[in-house]
Amino acid sequence: MKVLVTVKEVAEVEDDFEIADLDVDPRYLEYDLNEWDEYAVESAVQLAEAADEEVEVVSVTIGPERSEETIRMALAKGVDRAVRVWDDDIEAAEFLDVASKVRLLEAVVAEEDPDIVLSGVQAHDTGFGATGVALADAIGFEWGAVVNALDIEGVLNDGVARVHRELEGGIEELTEIDLPAVLTIQTGINEPRYASLRGIRQAQSKEIAPKTLSDLGLDFSAVESELFLTDMYEPETESDATYFEGDAGEQAAALASALREKGVGAE
Amino acid sequence: MAIADAGSSLTDEQRAIRDVVREFAVEEIRPTAREADETETFPEDVWDGLSDLDLTGLTVPEEYGGFDADRTTYALVNEEVAYGQLAVATALSVHCLATSCIAEFGSEDQKETWLPEMTRGRPVGMFALSEPDAGSNPAQMSTVARRDGDEYVINGKKQWITNGQRGEVCILFAKTDPDDPSSVTQFLVPKDAGFEVGKKEHKLGLRASDTTGLLFDDVRIPAENRLTEEGKGLSAAFHILTGGRVGIAAQAVGLAQSAFDEAREYAHEREQFDGPISDIQSVRHKFSDMATQIHAARLMVREAARQDDAGEDPRTAAAMAKYFASEAAVDVTNEAVQIHGGYGYTTDFEVERMYRDSKITTIYEGTSEIQKDIIARGVLD
Repeated sequence: MKVLVTVKEVAEVEDDFEIADLDVDPRYLEYDLNEWDEYAVESAVQLAEAADEEVEVVSVTIGPERSEETIRMALAKGVDRAVRVWDDDIEAAEFLDVASKVRLLEAVVAEEDPDIVLSGVQAHDTGFGATGVALADAIGFEWGAVVNALDIEGVLNDGVARVHRELEGGIEELTEIDLPAVLTIQTGINEPRYASLRGIRQAQSKEIAPKTLSDLGLDFSAVESELFLTDMYEPETESDATYFEGDAGEQAAALASALREKGVGAE
Repeated sequence: MAIADAGSSLTDEQRAIRDVVREFAVEEIRPTAREADETETFPEDVWDGLSDLDLTGLTVPEEYGGFDADRTTYALVNEEVAYGQLAVATALSVHCLATSCIAEFGSEDQKETWLPEMTRGRPVGMFALSEPDAGSNPAQMSTVARRDGDEYVINGKKQWITNGQRGEVCILFAKTDPDDPSSVTQFLVPKDAGFEVGKKEHKLGLRASDTTGLLFDDVRIPAENRLTEEGKGLSAAFHILTGGRVGIAAQAVGLAQSAFDEAREYAHEREQFDGPISDIQSVRHKFSDMATQIHAARLMVREAARQDDAGEDPRTAAAMAKYFASEAAVDVTNEAVQIHGGYGYTTDFEVERMYRDSKITTIYEGTSEIQKDIIARGVLD
């Protein structure tokens, strides 16, 4: 059995920052593994650890060489090997939209032929929340989105992913999804482990295979985006907080009259 | 400027280890610090976490399941664990002293008996050199291990034993001849051999660490528990302590860095005279001094570790690093409290504990005065 985990190195913005052209000035960015992907990696490693037969966990990322440090940390936590897709054409692409990423990942899926693909629900930086399910559609897999519980035995023994999906309003849906499938993993599904020192040492010699567009049988048209960023700006924020003095009753009365003044509630 | 990276030539592996241990320190160790200090209770869950990360086998050879870290990695781990909480770092480094002694001087049987389990975190190790009347001068010790057939019979009292209550395996130094100061020998004494644990000391800082005395009253151990030849114990202790000293220096750096970071955050937030106090020159210059001291101390630690890893004699550099870094930790935590003003004097702020914790670093594992003696020997004789 093979598990493919899509992981992304995301940019985290410092509290104070400036915008340069269409992005946050890189001076104010730090990079780390996408939080949702941490949970996806943990689910994949737990699958492998619970299995009697060999389960290979492969991670795939679209990212520059810098992202290898982040990928290594996933390898240190138990991922067996990694694929990193990048080249000059991707670097030159103005914006990688969901469709572009899916074309690249689709080609990797064709090479790797996984039984199950785990992806974070969304990326912390660009936040489209679409890559996992769009990939499922492209490769013809079943899919389950926003999975917050996964029955590992079902995946390993029955070829079925029995999942809980988190819906709005505190409702959980229980779904059975036949493999092969893509699951987008929600935070909180598990408790991601820390890499151990031995894991870190072993990760130094695990493979991170670089792949270019041509390695994947693609050309620059694969990263031609139909989506263009037109502007990025920081909205003006207005802070207009009122603190109501007094005990709870007095505060509630003051709040009620303030709300009525704003037109909330019946006269 | 990323101070922690400055001047370093860390490998990718070392960098990754530093990052993971820092994350563990911030997420798992620091949140336990206040209660552990208040209640004088060691955070055992944190210890189990250290074990999961392979840190309790840091200095154990790989063949016994350990990580066998180089000295630079050892220093990085000590710095980051201390960034979370000094008492945890101290407990870990003493455990590592004990595993180092067993790995270096123990027989094959002893290594197989103790090291795999100690690598997994328990039993916890102790290192019993100091006595009530023999601190900076261990040769003055009065604990005696008298040979009696296939056994040694131990009598005496040890003092300032870290992990005294938690620990189960004691590396003990005792004279085999009470009248011969050069007869100090190293032994391995399991707690179930029957020594008594004294009362827990109530301390200014490092309160989560259980510091006790140990009382040996006709405690019998098999002769094969002798780790060094008779009379070779003290040089063995000094050898192990030289490496350990780099770790203690690194802990002082981690403690100073944690106080610096707390003060930095506070100075940006605290507003006086119509702006954050980090805009006021007298405060800014404090940060200049603190950052310079931390940077210098860290580089001294790295250089001492490099010398050790390169097989050079690191004694002088290790003593300089321990002396400078521990005094810097006292200075930096002091200024961190000052920057917090009255708030820094309360237990509501972390710097209050860090200030109390810092003082021990100039005292234990060789006082600043002893470090200066070692440095003077290195540069004069």
